[in-house]
Amino acid sequence: MFVELDTIRWLWPEIVLVILASWIYVGHTFRQDRLAWTIVAAAAYVVAGFALFWQVWTSGPEFWIAFQAGQGFSSGPLSIDFLGTGIRWLAVAMGLLFTLVGSQLTSRESAGEFFATLMLLVVGIMLVASADELVLLFVGLELISIPTYVLLVLGRRGRANAEASAKYFFLSIFSSAILLYGLSFLYGVTGTTNLSQVELPRIAAASAGGMSHLLPSAIAMVLILSGLGFKIAAVPFHFYAPDVYQGTTNANAGLLAVAPKIGGIVALVRLTFVLAPHLAEFAWQMTIVLCVLSMTIGNICALWQTNVRRLMAYSSIAHAGYMLIGLAAGLAAPESGGVAATLLYLLVYVLASLGTFAALAYLGSEESEVGELDELAGLGRRQPAAAGAIAVCMFSLAGIPPLAGFWGKLSLFAGAITVWNEPLERGGSLWFIVLAVAGAINAAIAAAYYLRVVSVMFFRAPTSEVPAKGGIGAWSAMAACCVLVLLIGFLPGQFVRFADIAGKAAIRKKTGAEWISTAEPQKQRHVLQARAERIPADSP
Amino acid sequence: METLLVITIFLPLVGAAMMWPFAALGRMYVRWAALAVTLVTLVLTCVLVQNFPADGSDAGQFAVVSDTWVQTAAFDIEFSVGLDGLGLWLFAISAVLMVTSVLVSWRAITSRAALFYAMLLLLEFGCLGVFSARDIILFYVFFEFTLIPLFFLIGIWGSSERRYAAVKFFLFTLAGSLLTFLGLLAIVIWHAGHTGEVTFSIPRLTESLSELALRGDGMSQSLQMWIFVALMAGFAVKVPLFPFHTWLPLAHTEAPTAGSVFLAGILLKIGTYGFLRFNVPMLPDATIYFTPWILGVSAVGIIYGALVALAQSDMKRLIAYSSVSHLGFCMVGVFALNHLGVQGGTLQMVNHGISTGALFALIGMLYERYHTREIRKLGGVARRTPVLALFMLLFALSSIGLPGTNGFAGEFLLLIGMFQRAFFDLPEMWSGGNMRVLFWTVSIAALFGVVMGAWYMLWLVQRIFFGPLREPEDDKHHEVVRDLSLREVMALVPLAVLVIWIGVWPKFFLDRMQPTLNQSTHAVQMRLSSPVTLDSQLSTLDPPPSTRSD
Repeated sequence: MFVELDTIRWLWPEIVLVILASWIYVGHTFRQDRLAWTIVAAAAYVVAGFALFWQVWTSGPEFWIAFQAGQGFSSGPLSIDFLGTGIRWLAVAMGLLFTLVGSQLTSRESAGEFFATLMLLVVGIMLVASADELVLLFVGLELISIPTYVLLVLGRRGRANAEASAKYFFLSIFSSAILLYGLSFLYGVTGTTNLSQVELPRIAAASAGGMSHLLPSAIAMVLILSGLGFKIAAVPFHFYAPDVYQGTTNANAGLLAVAPKIGGIVALVRLTFVLAPHLAEFAWQMTIVLCVLSMTIGNICALWQTNVRRLMAYSSIAHAGYMLIGLAAGLAAPESGGVAATLLYLLVYVLASLGTFAALAYLGSEESEVGELDELAGLGRRQPAAAGAIAVCMFSLAGIPPLAGFWGKLSLFAGAITVWNEPLERGGSLWFIVLAVAGAINAAIAAAYYLRVVSVMFFRAPTSEVPAKGGIGAWSAMAACCVLVLLIGFLPGQFVRFADIAGKAAIRKKTGAEWISTAEPQKQRHVLQARAERIPADSP
Repeated sequence: METLLVITIFLPLVGAAMMWPFAALGRMYVRWAALAVTLVTLVLTCVLVQNFPADGSDAGQFAVVSDTWVQTAAFDIEFSVGLDGLGLWLFAISAVLMVTSVLVSWRAITSRAALFYAMLLLLEFGCLGVFSARDIILFYVFFEFTLIPLFFLIGIWGSSERRYAAVKFFLFTLAGSLLTFLGLLAIVIWHAGHTGEVTFSIPRLTESLSELALRGDGMSQSLQMWIFVALMAGFAVKVPLFPFHTWLPLAHTEAPTAGSVFLAGILLKIGTYGFLRFNVPMLPDATIYFTPWILGVSAVGIIYGALVALAQSDMKRLIAYSSVSHLGFCMVGVFALNHLGVQGGTLQMVNHGISTGALFALIGMLYERYHTREIRKLGGVARRTPVLALFMLLFALSSIGLPGTNGFAGEFLLLIGMFQRAFFDLPEMWSGGNMRVLFWTVSIAALFGVVMGAWYMLWLVQRIFFGPLREPEDDKHHEVVRDLSLREVMALVPLAVLVIWIGVWPKFFLDRMQPTLNQSTHAVQMRLSSPVTLDSQLSTLDPPPSTRSD
């Protein structure tokens, strides 16, 4: 049941990346050429991205139509739907951008290792994105964490770096254990490790017996939320973030801000909705608490930071809070578009955050990193391109239109207000207006420190020179992020729709009704086709 | 016309992008290019105004362009622009003031000129968009977008306290407008949930909501009040209403001249415009509930602004505080909630844009000559610069509201409106003892504010321009102080023409805006003036409106 030929076909991009990563590991010991390995790694991502397109392309138009309606099917341990595919694209793009950032900034001796480890991490995100199986999901999450330990150690030597690595290592292991414990409860409740085979009636029967019967699922929910809360750096699981970000390089800090967040959010979306139908209220209440705490503490602590990486660490904590707004809304009322909002926000956050760190990395050199805010003074005159890119990313993170971040905030707030507007029996709650107001106030607080970065760069006279030796790679990664942020800002249509479809896929799964197995491919195609004829009214 | 409107809005954006290649050629080319762009925009705007129906009929349909922008299952956001009576004149004044802004920066801006003019043009793009947007999200996008260029204008080219001023300005406005954003979303989502029609279109929502309200099927009053407060958070900061005004004097004083001109002339109006565009037509019950409060706060603002203006020793701060006072007048007019008051208030928004914009420009010109903004360091300047003094006197008189200038037309109308409301037409719900006194006090305070306006304005002109000649003694300026150059005169002439034009023939302007304004206050007026007929209309409906509005 586990491995079918079809499953292998769907895993092609991951397989390509793993093979090439191994090749780079081995090859690097023979030939320490940074440029060559950059090209190999970049080519690998291009091939993987192409393979992803190819999969969808060769599956025929009816498949794409079903995808657009938010439908999917499972193939062995994989769930093939737009949520998975979209995040896999994002992961590949992220890998490519970080490879470019590292192209002239990693030390020559460890360049190959950096690229190969990064590639494994990307594979980890891709596995999490399409995992339909608890075990695969966990393996994927570990495949994000373990390469991260290596990357942290591969960064600069020094006490701060050692402290950062150790801190991250221990806390990450701890959180993985908590998550695993949660997954075991989930298995105990549902009797299966396959998410799409969770039998809702069985849980419902258990829940009919009152709270004492619900307790195991509630424990599972709490443990899963805390385990994954660490990955996305939500308060109160955020303590490691500022120290670790500050202790490491800009490229690594960027990776920490982005990669675990993608993995964590997707895993949250996948897992919480399995338990949602009967635990929805408990789940969204807990999520709201996490969310308000993360936003408020993240933003307020960021106000006083003088180190850019520390500031960005607190900002990433706050953004984890924003993403949870959508999740809470989605849990309370699945049709509110909350999950889609979370996924859109994830996309715009990833781009703006990556752009900022790419620009910071570009401003540094192999030996010295830009760290203190004061080092950025007068950047608007000396490095207009980098300063402009950081400013665009900052305004986007602050959610000022017409940049990408605005559309993320728009859909989050719209999701929360929609839930509030729903009648009570359909999951409406007054708490969501409180949540939206908390989000709005937090966005204003957040603007204060993002503006501070901009004002230091543009309104202050230069004090010291920055090396700006990131090279063409980091520059183009920065420029690409910046252009994407502007593009999503001005023409958000297609991206909002993608998030919408992915969100639908996540919710659809919850009901389980639309789910089909790949046991009979012929029949499956037939079903998809039949459905495709039915949907046009539904698909945009 | 449709294409023309879109071209007019986007021309400054294209111009801003053009500054980049021009930057390499030098400052000379940059400013001529910027001037050319603003002039073409102005000409196109004039064509639009000329084609606008003279009686304002069908105003909602003028030059409407709609195209899908973001469409999903949940959203249907359109890129939809068009001009109506409310937006028309503010749109036009934005185009006029931008020419003035470019001309007054001609010599004042020496560093990074290309970036400066690019920011000015972006600001114009934002303002033209705000006043023509017909989609709630589009409006909000433009509304917030105006913050970015002004933030840079103040922060890079401002005077000594510029960093603090820029950040304070940005944060104050943003904090308020995020709540506005929630309010706007709440309106759309409530409407979608209630009627099943997901629309972000402002005219459609206005129509539908006031219809629902008149049918007694609208939002509950408590919900309206919450949304009203949320919307007001942003607009009140922008106006600025009395306790939220502290960002304004700072931003004005620190901004470069062009920034002050545009901030005072256009950006403050977005607040009052927002009240008239969203609060009044869409939330009639809450508007009625909050009117006494807003009138009270506006009256306090009028008197407070005037008193503080009297005490200023810095010319720019004086004009800034006078703005607080004048915007209070606009608010009083709008919340008199009758035809005359709303027309006067709207006309006064335009008037204030013209005269205060011009006053800031004049003070910038004085500053370029004497490098000081201290009133006591100057005296008898009219002997040196008679033309400057002439313009100053003209705009000061227009700001006071001398008959024959634009200020008179606006203030007279809005004061009549307010007096009519307070003394002759006070609805039953407000005729209790305290309320009556409040309305009387507000109208008399407004009248008093006019007198105080004359006091601080004429006193300012007298101290600077008349009496014995006094000039700063520090060594900074050796060159002979010249009178206005042709460029500076050209910057002021269009505004002077408008001052006289509106003063002598306000009908030209009022006719075009009247129908739209009547429409936007329709629901409120129905609620206020004829509760009896309203009841009889609704007697068949269930539940009765009297229980609903409580």
